[in-house]
Amino acid sequence: MLQDLAPSPPTAKAERILGDLNVWIFVLGDLVFFGAYYVIYMVYRHQETRVFLASQQHLSLIAGTLNTMILLTSSRFVALAIQAARSGDRERARRLIAYSWLLGVAFVAIKVSEWTYLISHGFTLTRNDFFMFYFMLTGVHLFHVILGLAVLVVVMRELRSPEPSRSWIIESGAVYWHMVDLLWIGIFALLYLMR
Amino acid sequence: MANTQIHVGSSTRTVNVAAGREKLDLWICWWILPVFYTFFGLIFVLLAHVMPPPSPGLSVPQILAFFHAHATTIKIGFALLMGVIGLGSISNGLVAYQMKRMSVSPVFAYGYIATLAVGALPGCLFCAIFFLAAVLRPDRNPHLIALSYDAALLTFVGSLGCFLANYCVFAAAVLLDKNQIFPKWLGYMAVWQIVTELLAAPVFIFKKGPFAWNGAIAFYEGTVIFGIFLTCLILQVRKAIELQPADELVPD
Repeated sequence: MLQDLAPSPPTAKAERILGDLNVWIFVLGDLVFFGAYYVIYMVYRHQETRVFLASQQHLSLIAGTLNTMILLTSSRFVALAIQAARSGDRERARRLIAYSWLLGVAFVAIKVSEWTYLISHGFTLTRNDFFMFYFMLTGVHLFHVILGLAVLVVVMRELRSPEPSRSWIIESGAVYWHMVDLLWIGIFALLYLMR
Repeated sequence: MANTQIHVGSSTRTVNVAAGREKLDLWICWWILPVFYTFFGLIFVLLAHVMPPPSPGLSVPQILAFFHAHATTIKIGFALLMGVIGLGSISNGLVAYQMKRMSVSPVFAYGYIATLAVGALPGCLFCAIFFLAAVLRPDRNPHLIALSYDAALLTFVGSLGCFLANYCVFAAAVLLDKNQIFPKWLGYMAVWQIVTELLAAPVFIFKKGPFAWNGAIAFYEGTVIFGIFLTCLILQVRKAIELQPADELVPD
């Protein structure tokens, strides 16, 4: 109900974080670990700059850009869904989360088609160090996206529930989905754009 | 010492509350956790030299030299392991016991024990046996010794599936539990572990680089994350025992 999703009293509101602390521990840890993957990638890239630059040319910048736009848009929908849920419009919130979910599925479909294209042209995991990183980093990120799709289903169920909604579940799902978006931006910048 | 009647389901049991309050049985089991992992570190790092893993890129003469240099400590270390490996089972039993206190089905606890029991074979014992076989007959065909080396380290770092299932079971139990036996963040941490298991999968493909069995990502980062998770798990099991009512009976 509206009052369950309504912001806490003013004094508590100032100190309140989005979602719950548990999910923030997970998200911050995950960001640190991915940060380490990025650093390790940079070290190897520095050692084989030419190979990495030449291999990068085989990636589809259009597919990468499209996927970035998809995730950014889905993150926007999730943010709007939180606003809608807070204002008591749970139906709109659920609809917006459903749009995000569909965009997430589109991301997976594009990623799989990108992989299929590369593999069919001989650019496999063992081709060279660039493609080793490409498949492993995008693969681990894809795992996060698929997990995120499951999380969004939980959020949609929570919004559909006739019982009073637990706002922390909805907000935690949003925090996780934003993290998935942020991780992808790092991967997109390092693997697709960096020259 | 006072006896009291405890109702569990349809049955009634009499327990000695005064003795139970001390929770000595649980504390004995809890202390086995840090003791076992101290032994584990001592054996695998200092004695057997499995951690950090030697390079998968060693030539056959280099592998022979490795076993020649560490033959004695490998024998001592893994002989010790044969004596203490069972302690790990008790540690896992204690975690499973706490999982049975959760609001979720006990099948999660059974799954936790079973996956770790299966995982202990490739993740611990196979490695020991292959190393011990390699140093038992140093005059054996060098290529067979090299095969033992590969098999040992591939099973040790690459034993993914059982542990992956184990972390899934643990994460699901913690996140679904309504009794708050463990904090939710510990369940999320298990998801980190799932990711590290996935990232160790290519050890069967690469002989060098970050995803080889001694790689920065497949081994080092995964080990750091495991260390963080294990430390948190040990501390949270302690906290769970502290908060557990002394007269609580956990259903069989």
